[in-house]
Amino acid sequence: MLRRRTFNAGLLASAALPMPAIAQGLQGKRGGDVIIAQQAQPPTLDAQTTTAQASRNITLHVYETLFTRDEASNPKPDLAEGVDIAADGLTYRFTLRTGVKFHNGKTMTSADVKASMERYGRIGGSAYAMKPVAAIETPDAKTVVMKLSSVSPGFIEAISSPRAPFAIMPEEECAKPLGQPAMIGTGPFRFVEFRPDSHAKLARFDDYVPNTNYQKRDGFAGRKTAFFDTVTFRFMPEGGARTAGLQTGELQVLEALDVAAAKRLKDDKNVRTYEMMPWAFQTLMMNTNWGPTANVDIRRAIQAALDLEEIMAICSDGLYRMDPAWQYPGTNYFPGIDGLDAYIKQDQAKARALLQKAGYKGEELEVVTDNAFRNHLDTGTVAAQQLRAVGMNVKLSVMDWPTVLNRRTRPDGWNLWPLGMGIEPYEGPYNVVGFFSGAQPVQIKADPVIEEAQKRLTTDLSLQGRIDAVKQFQARVYDQAISVKVGDIGIVQATRANVVNYAPYRIPRMWDCWFA
Amino acid sequence: MFRLAAIRLLAAVPVLMVVSLVSFGLTLLVPGDMAAEMAGPSATAADLARIRGELGLDRPPLVRMASWYSGLLHGDLGRSVLLNQGVTEAILERLPVTLSLTCLALGLACLAGIPAGLVAAAKARRWPDQAAMGAALVGLSLPDFWLGLVLIWVLGVKLNLMPTGGYVALSADAVGWLRSITLPAGALALTQLGPIARMTRSAALEVADSDFIRTARAKGLTEPRVYARHVLSGALVPILTVVGIGFGLSLGGALVIEQVFSLPGVGRLVIGAVLRRDWPVIQGGLLLTALVFVMVNLIVDLLYLWVDPRLRSNA
Repeated sequence: MLRRRTFNAGLLASAALPMPAIAQGLQGKRGGDVIIAQQAQPPTLDAQTTTAQASRNITLHVYETLFTRDEASNPKPDLAEGVDIAADGLTYRFTLRTGVKFHNGKTMTSADVKASMERYGRIGGSAYAMKPVAAIETPDAKTVVMKLSSVSPGFIEAISSPRAPFAIMPEEECAKPLGQPAMIGTGPFRFVEFRPDSHAKLARFDDYVPNTNYQKRDGFAGRKTAFFDTVTFRFMPEGGARTAGLQTGELQVLEALDVAAAKRLKDDKNVRTYEMMPWAFQTLMMNTNWGPTANVDIRRAIQAALDLEEIMAICSDGLYRMDPAWQYPGTNYFPGIDGLDAYIKQDQAKARALLQKAGYKGEELEVVTDNAFRNHLDTGTVAAQQLRAVGMNVKLSVMDWPTVLNRRTRPDGWNLWPLGMGIEPYEGPYNVVGFFSGAQPVQIKADPVIEEAQKRLTTDLSLQGRIDAVKQFQARVYDQAISVKVGDIGIVQATRANVVNYAPYRIPRMWDCWFA
Repeated sequence: MFRLAAIRLLAAVPVLMVVSLVSFGLTLLVPGDMAAEMAGPSATAADLARIRGELGLDRPPLVRMASWYSGLLHGDLGRSVLLNQGVTEAILERLPVTLSLTCLALGLACLAGIPAGLVAAAKARRWPDQAAMGAALVGLSLPDFWLGLVLIWVLGVKLNLMPTGGYVALSADAVGWLRSITLPAGALALTQLGPIARMTRSAALEVADSDFIRTARAKGLTEPRVYARHVLSGALVPILTVVGIGFGLSLGGALVIEQVFSLPGVGRLVIGAVLRRDWPVIQGGLLLTALVFVMVNLIVDLLYLWVDPRLRSNA
């Protein structure tokens, strides 16, 4: 029945018992209190339930998952030694690492994993991933068997995503309602305190059991070694104050540094800056259900009217790359860019002709955008101006973030919505294609070809078949002008120069780095 | 005096009722909720419905309203799911930050503004007057967030004299507290200094022509003593009025300054709650702000009676 063993990084697993981190892991200097500044405060520290970056920054130091992502965002085992997937794709048998301790001193068992995964299925931020799971069995303390009711080739990708992490917590915490569990995980840092509007503080977990199947950190996976005594995340909404704090040394790490400030500080010997490219897709979503954008020719006119590079240069402060693909180059599901040239070049004459063909009579086109994220606001503002230049009647509505989120789920009342998609393309194709399909596609009106691509992506057991599904999705999005992929946006992370061995990633990882 | 205090406190009840009703009405009118914030931009309607169910946001408005008022009558302002904390506790935890910021700012504004106004009145239409009033006008015109950033840049980054942000509790470290609060209070004080100085000048000029001031001068008192002792006490009522108004404005300014200096005060709590649609916190915060305004007005009214005995007969 069990056909293949996959995702197993356990090259050394059979021989190795957990060893003290310092003895075999990275050699660094232990001690010190590191302070990281981040713009937003976490909406909650209940890791499973939120997709907020502000929460992930903190929770992924405290919690670990069965599988997680490596440096190239591929799934890798973390709390699991590996998984055996049955030939029919319906049974996943996870073998757990032994001796892993929770921060309360308890040893992690399969019962904790079962309870955590079941809780995720009830209230997790990506609970849909657990839908195919019909039953979870625990034949012994180190084995978890998940039985699926239907094949789900993206299952490991889904449960390894850090978007809303499938955090493993003690069984007794899993019965607690949303937001209530004590923050007890198995990660290299343990929770100390959370002061809303001020900071969250973690301390090194000295009984941490590193994954000896690896030699060093690897994305969120790998062998993690904590050197700092404490890690404090300060919530600082004002960008200028964050930069000032880094310059004076009150802060040692910035989750993100304004690109303009990074340029200014590039010669500062006390500061190191790290560019992360790509960080997010910059997109312009369209409502295919309502108003002018319900007409495919008007959508195509919009596509032709936009100067994508001008938008990217402004919305990213110059840290961008032009990339029309709906998956990042170099990743498993990259669909290529053949045939996309015709869609990405600005052609105002073509746009005017398409508007004429569509019988456009100056109907109002509403761009809804928020003022919380500069890339959203700038994309909306520049796009609106470019559309006016071809004769469109554009209304730019700027609102706060929750209002925009509320507005965009409505079937009418909006036409264009600028959105930076950060974590979704990092995860792979599932939440990118999934965003445009299912019960509530982002473009509001379901598209049969995209639905078919999504079905193939989630059921085809061959990798090539799934890549073809992504190609099919991409071709359809461009042909029907369902959304505009403007480009890839980057960010800058920064540290003081005395933070050694720091490597930028989706969150500022405070393991495997130390003070000089 | 006690009668006046009792009447004013009773009159505050309908004010607070209106504030609570308006704030509750806002929860129904303003789009978006905390489920959307938690679930993120790619959430489906099903995701949002599931989270709303977990948080109890799917209950009918009247049920939520009845539940909130019932809690209020028991002294309970509700619970913030996002903070995982009672609203009363959350507000009381942050109140010392905001009050210390506001009081210190107002104290600094009075310390600088009142003498500046008196000097301007004493040297009316001469260069000290024009310099003091010009400086007051500049302070009045500059936005507090800009002043805050400039102070961070100059005193924090360039001169490294002050921390650039954050808060140290007074109970934890008195010197640390003073260092953490001085810069934000200074920024806030500069915006309040102007009105206080201008009002002091104008009130002092009015009093300076009075008979009792002429008598004081005739007795041989020096000009500084005349102004510090007699003109000031005669001008205190309008100054108190502007200080009382300044307290309210400072509370509003604290919303911005707390953001700039990353201070965990009530202002930042309320702004964060508005952006995340954490309604129990918004309602609690608004109620508290209204209560503080009522109390400040009451204190100012009582101070009028203290500084001007003539008003006591009408009280």
